[in-house]
Amino acid sequence: MKRNYQVPLYSVMAAALLAACGGDTDNGSETEATAGEEEIVLRMSWWGSQERHNMTNEIIEMYESENPHVSIQPDFAGFDGYFEKMATQAAGGNLPDIMQQNHGEFVNQYASQGQLADLQPFIDDGTINVSAVSETVLESGEFDGELVGLPTGMNALAGLYDPDMIESAGAELPNEDWTWEDMIDMATTVHEYTGNYGMRLMEPGNMFEYYLRDNGKRLFNEDGTDLGYEDDQLFVEYLTMNKRMVDDGVAPGYDVIGEIQGLEDELLVHGTAAINFRWTNQLNTIASAAGDDRNIELAILPGDNNDEAMYLRPSMLWSIAENSQHKEEAAKFIDFYTNQTEVFDVVGSDRGVPINEDIQEEMRSDLNETDQKVFDFISYVTDHSTPVDSNYPPQAAQVLNALEDVDELVIYGQMTPEEGAAQFRQEANAILGN
Amino acid sequence: MSQSHMDDQARLQENTGLPPNRNLKGRFGFGKNKRPRKDLQNGVGYIFLSPFVIGTILLTMFPILYSLYLSFTNYSMGGTPEWIGFGNYVHMFNNDAMFWQSMEVTFFYAGTAVPLRLIFALFVAIILNKVIEMVGVYRTLLYLPSVVGGSVGVAIMWRQLFGNEGAVNGVLSMLGLPTHSWLGDPNTAIWTLVILYGWQFGSSMLIFLAGLRNIPTSFYEASAVDGARPIQQFFKITLPMLTPVILFNVIMQTIQGFMAFTPAYVVTAGDPINSTLLYILYMYRQAFEYFNMGYAAALAWVMLVIIAILTAIIFKSSQYWVHYEDK
Repeated sequence: MKRNYQVPLYSVMAAALLAACGGDTDNGSETEATAGEEEIVLRMSWWGSQERHNMTNEIIEMYESENPHVSIQPDFAGFDGYFEKMATQAAGGNLPDIMQQNHGEFVNQYASQGQLADLQPFIDDGTINVSAVSETVLESGEFDGELVGLPTGMNALAGLYDPDMIESAGAELPNEDWTWEDMIDMATTVHEYTGNYGMRLMEPGNMFEYYLRDNGKRLFNEDGTDLGYEDDQLFVEYLTMNKRMVDDGVAPGYDVIGEIQGLEDELLVHGTAAINFRWTNQLNTIASAAGDDRNIELAILPGDNNDEAMYLRPSMLWSIAENSQHKEEAAKFIDFYTNQTEVFDVVGSDRGVPINEDIQEEMRSDLNETDQKVFDFISYVTDHSTPVDSNYPPQAAQVLNALEDVDELVIYGQMTPEEGAAQFRQEANAILGN
Repeated sequence: MSQSHMDDQARLQENTGLPPNRNLKGRFGFGKNKRPRKDLQNGVGYIFLSPFVIGTILLTMFPILYSLYLSFTNYSMGGTPEWIGFGNYVHMFNNDAMFWQSMEVTFFYAGTAVPLRLIFALFVAIILNKVIEMVGVYRTLLYLPSVVGGSVGVAIMWRQLFGNEGAVNGVLSMLGLPTHSWLGDPNTAIWTLVILYGWQFGSSMLIFLAGLRNIPTSFYEASAVDGARPIQQFFKITLPMLTPVILFNVIMQTIQGFMAFTPAYVVTAGDPINSTLLYILYMYRQAFEYFNMGYAAALAWVMLVIIAILTAIIFKSSQYWVHYEDK
């Protein structure tokens, strides 16, 4: 008697299984087939602050209303976690069509895996217009001869400083020709007179790389197979300088730095540090967090050779995923973002100074005080710099992490600068497979 | 009951159009010769099992075996796995200082956090066992940290608590005691994570509590008549009677302790100077920050072996200290 249940049960279960499997495909075709011939859904991802999310969403709406057949699904996060998220999507062959990339170790990592599309064909066929973009800027988006990302705007390293604090201590303000000794003198004086930190160093990755450039060296050699400097003495000097400043209380140690929660919480914002080495596009956030009554200025980094050491770098890059089904539509959006004035009316210099020089000129007439400083600074650096290094090996992220570890060990006093420099070379060699 | 049974049956027959007594042998290929009905019923069982069996094979067995394969390859995310034999393992043991660092941190963490949690859980369970009124309320409140404890929110709260300007330092300075950079000092940062682990004692506590409830009160009464003091009762009755439960808790918590990830990821991010770099965090970095998927898979297998060995040792040792009543 009982078995009579069985047949219907089989069929019910089979139906349930089929339904479960079918779910996905149903949804997919539904969204794509609604508005006739070619309704296109692009996915786009970026990292940033809430302010950037709002501005970018506004730009997406602008684009969608001009291109009704395209709808863009935004996917945004803070910088922490963004690349982990992208990594899982990359593993699944599911990267977003348009992706905000980071210059250097990040973009090279993705490009070396063949995850990013070459944008050159879209430039050749006119989809992306780069007639108002300089050759050097374009080159900074290249990896291995392919254009894997178009810069969203340009950035430079800068010392963001509080002139009032420095002057009140009777110290000399930073200028174009200041040296590392000048920097230490200034910071020490400020510390002694105000009790504040005289300076706050940047994470060692960028700062030590700059230090090497100032000494005519590079972090990685030309083909990215080895470190680009032979004499560990350079790293010893750099570490010794930092260690001394932290020990003297002139610069904060990692215990203090580790507590800082984002740009808005920086020591410079709270008025407890006189200078902070950062990127120019961060001036806006820092200045507005510091408040209207504070004056924050930009200075060239110190060094005997800073004309050579300074460089312009893409703040970020727009890349197209190799797995994208709609590369051309993605390219059209990137063209829109690069060449439409109204985009920059919204976003300002948050993604760097626009690479389209006509737009740059147009914006110049109507800048707020902060953007004015950034634009002036970038144009100074344009004339006093050498090209950015793009020769990061795919393992660069790991090498830079080892660099940071050594810096920490030395600052915490668990290693001498000499031991640190030697250990970094050894670890870098192990990572790079030498 | 049987009436509705019959109704259902009738309806089902109607729907399928199958005659009620038709033999299904052969049709589905289940019943073989002699005892068709019984085998057919097994078949139904397998069908019912199939979602789980298929799920286990596809979603558990396949990834496990695939990760074993990957651990013998040089596989960068998005690339093609390239067979390198034991290369990953050789590199790990010979050339990877960070591997040993994370190993050291993890053994220290599990070695301190697991006993801390168990002792605390047992302590609270014993107190709770004495409470007569509102046990449910206390039990729920004490279990709460375990419900929320693994979450990112609590980890962020922990970071605030132990921050330079956090509540812990606030209380210390109020009491006139020196404050300390808990998370910034490589010697203390790991302890904040140990305490966080110990704080989530709820599930072990519940199991201890159930164990305590199972100890017959007659044992205590008899020993009291013989003049045993409470401390003697604890060591001669409570602890021995609880050993099977302790064994269970030790194994579960040790496994959990070795696999901890969230606290190190959110509270300290492995800093300062990698003093809180738990093994799983290091594995995660290799996989999702450096894209070394093959190497990360190898790291995972090493941890599996370590946990398996530890569990085996604990089991083996149990014959010397676990007391079963029926023996």
